[in-house]
Amino acid sequence: METADLSHHISRRFNEDLERVRTKVLTMGGMVEQQLANAVTALIEGDSNLGVSVARDDFQVNGMEVSIDEECQKILATRAPAASDLRVIIAIIKTITDLERIGDEGEKIGYIASRLATMERPADKYREIKHLGRIVSEMVHQALDAFARMDAEAALRVARQDRVVDEEYESIQRQCITFMMEDPRSIRRALDVMWIVRALERIGDHAKNICEYVIYMVHGKDVRHTKLDDVERELRDRATGG
Amino acid sequence: MTSGGTAFVYVTVRVLAALAIGAAIGWFAGNVWLGVSGAFALYLAWNLWQLRELGFWLQHRSVADPPNAAGLWGDVVAQVVRLHRRKRFHKERLTRLFRELRRSTAAMPDGVVMLDPQGEIVWFNRKAAELLDLSRRADLGLRIDNLVRNPDFVRYLHGGQYSLPVVVRLDTPVERFVAFQVISYGEDQRLLMLRDVTREVRLEQMRKDFVANASHELRSPLTVVAGYLETFSSDPGLGELMAPIAEMRRQTDRMTRIIEDLLELSRFEANDGPIRGLPIDVAGMAALLRKDVLARTAHPRQVEVAIESGDALIGDEAMVQSAFSNLVDNAAKYTPAEGSVFIRWWTDDDGGHYSVRDTGPGIPEEHIPRLTERFYRVDPGRSRETGGSGLGLAIVKHALHRHGGRLQIESIEGRGSTFTCHFPPDRVLYRPAAASA
Repeated sequence: METADLSHHISRRFNEDLERVRTKVLTMGGMVEQQLANAVTALIEGDSNLGVSVARDDFQVNGMEVSIDEECQKILATRAPAASDLRVIIAIIKTITDLERIGDEGEKIGYIASRLATMERPADKYREIKHLGRIVSEMVHQALDAFARMDAEAALRVARQDRVVDEEYESIQRQCITFMMEDPRSIRRALDVMWIVRALERIGDHAKNICEYVIYMVHGKDVRHTKLDDVERELRDRATGG
Repeated sequence: MTSGGTAFVYVTVRVLAALAIGAAIGWFAGNVWLGVSGAFALYLAWNLWQLRELGFWLQHRSVADPPNAAGLWGDVVAQVVRLHRRKRFHKERLTRLFRELRRSTAAMPDGVVMLDPQGEIVWFNRKAAELLDLSRRADLGLRIDNLVRNPDFVRYLHGGQYSLPVVVRLDTPVERFVAFQVISYGEDQRLLMLRDVTREVRLEQMRKDFVANASHELRSPLTVVAGYLETFSSDPGLGELMAPIAEMRRQTDRMTRIIEDLLELSRFEANDGPIRGLPIDVAGMAALLRKDVLARTAHPRQVEVAIESGDALIGDEAMVQSAFSNLVDNAAKYTPAEGSVFIRWWTDDDGGHYSVRDTGPGIPEEHIPRLTERFYRVDPGRSRETGGSGLGLAIVKHALHRHGGRLQIESIEGRGSTFTCHFPPDRVLYRPAAASA
């Protein structure tokens, strides 16, 4: 089985460049994770200042994306990487796009949370959203862990989590519809809540994408738009077949 | 060496005897030299066989017994056996020692991660694995900042300032607060110590919440009491009760001030991160503070403001206002009517500085380090009389801390005191050199 081995390289400089970019991606990931956690906290605790600061700080994540993009271009232009190195670069370029989008969704949540903070909070204190936020944060965290460890199996496990997120999304959506039918005055808030839940669901999708890039990076197999069971079988065959 | 020497003599004698016997057999058979060469050939064959035995044993010495060799060969075998035994003994001792060491560090209540100069994980103990969700097999050789990606931690790791630990909230595998402390050792190697401080952080949070809630709850009944007292004080029919009511009013005012200061302090404490804020016009703020002091019934004769720099301070306006006004307030309170108060703002390469100097009674040196403690009184009788809450300097200290600054207190008894706020350069919005010139 071919593994992406980053430690043995003819050119040490090249190796260092690759490692540096990879670390930068993970630093960006750390920022995104923090933003997401803060955005959800801002909503749950009704902290409008925190929500505003999340929305305001998104520019840092965007800046990281641009700078990593540039470094990847430089590596592509000067080193002309091949095989697994090329896959790493491609995976990085795709991953940062998804991370940036997660940042954007976080910004959106922060913004809406700061607005909802001024309104009366529902009796359940957004328990469902807290739960969903926790699942999604964990997905992002584990997707980045899989990226750091180059662990395709873990990536596959995380990608499977996306179904749970979708189910939660459906359930909160139904709940919101019930609220709106019961009391039309709650429609405004329910719509805002829907936006947040939708953003969280999208973040889950982005985390899943990152997992797919990890599998691509490690195995050289593009698993987008493929059923996860098929992917798993394929990976198992590769592992046993050599 | 002696045993080797005797063995050598013995072997030589034996070889000579064998040659003599070969020669004798050859003499009987008619050719002496043939007998001698035959003896040599036999001896050589025996030696080769012994060598082969020895080689075979060395190759399989873990399972095979040592060959039962005679003469010099036996000596060699015995020597090898001894060396082998000694080596095994040392190895076992080292292994045992290493295992003990590993077991003891694994049992440590704190997490330990060893890092190489690149920040790659060399080794970690069980507690660290539990706190950071590391796996023993996969994570050796990975960079720690790739796995622990919290921005605060990454900044701390690369910042190089390791004197204080950094407390970080980790959300996985379970939500908890972990204090990280880097210890440098050897050549560029680092030891990362981790401690679970969730309990401490929660307790601290509970304390803050309690102070904030208690102050808040006390405020409403106090407002009612103060309201009635105010009504009474304007009722002339109460006669001899007027004096006690006036005193009660003064005391409720003081209580209100204390509660307001407590609330302000807990607001500053509410979150501990640095604040970004906006440029603040220090000159305008100082001028307003001066006006406030002069508007009082009893105030020092002279209040001077010296603005030596047009550079602005970057921070939270409410916090800075509170800190500056507390300092000016104190100075005005402790300075007699014929004294003076100087307010000064200047900037240099070290950052911005705001100082308030008075010609009051000064503070005895032994009190200075404790001045910023809550409710600390230098002279309990005197400060109650002036109506302070005892929280002013605590507020100043906290407001400065949030801006990355510090408070410096200098005082000479009988001559006066100087309180200086030092702000770091990144808190100062320097005006372009051309504009200020």
